[in-house]
Amino acid sequence: MKKHIEFTSAPIVVPPRPGNLRETGACVEFHGIVRETENGRAIPALFYEAYEAMARLQLERIADELNAAHPCDEICLIHRLGPVPAGEASMYLRVLSRHRQEAFAFAAGFVTRLKADVPIWKTAPPASRCTAP
Amino acid sequence: MQITVFAFAHTRDQLGFGEKVLTCEAQDTPRAILRRLAPQFDPGKTVRVAVDREYADWDQPIGSASELALIPPVSGG
Repeated sequence: MKKHIEFTSAPIVVPPRPGNLRETGACVEFHGIVRETENGRAIPALFYEAYEAMARLQLERIADELNAAHPCDEICLIHRLGPVPAGEASMYLRVLSRHRQEAFAFAAGFVTRLKADVPIWKTAPPASRCTAP
Repeated sequence: MQITVFAFAHTRDQLGFGEKVLTCEAQDTPRAILRRLAPQFDPGKTVRVAVDREYADWDQPIGSASELALIPPVSGG
């Protein structure tokens, strides 16, 4: 399985799907989007930070473990850091596999474990760290 | 030996630092190191510790590790 894991402070640009997909029958994509309210309070943005070196290590391991149970061809994860305005994607995940069952199961498991174990945090941004309106 | 201690998110705000380097011994545990750094701070059951980028036990000696990180509840995605 090929893995692309990226952190970026810029808006997420979905990379083009790889061209040589003769054995790939499923492509599952997930965009995590910053809501305009959090706990009933309107927010202009969220601020994301990560312990990036450890986060990469954990994400690679989670991907390998999930791949053993739900074999996939390729995954692409892009996660924002810094301020992310409401309405923009904070993360993007794409899973390519031969059949849909593996891609759905992998994607669901990956997001669940990312939210439980990967050292990434979101907070309401202090005004000084947020350039969103 | 020296170890770099990282604190993130609200744990950084509570401790007042994001990164500190200090001298320690291989038999020191993360709990002992934290107690030395911030005697008043109790990680409780929600703040995990990572040693050299792997989740670790608060009471396991750090050995030859060079990084220790305080990991409050994560919330990525």
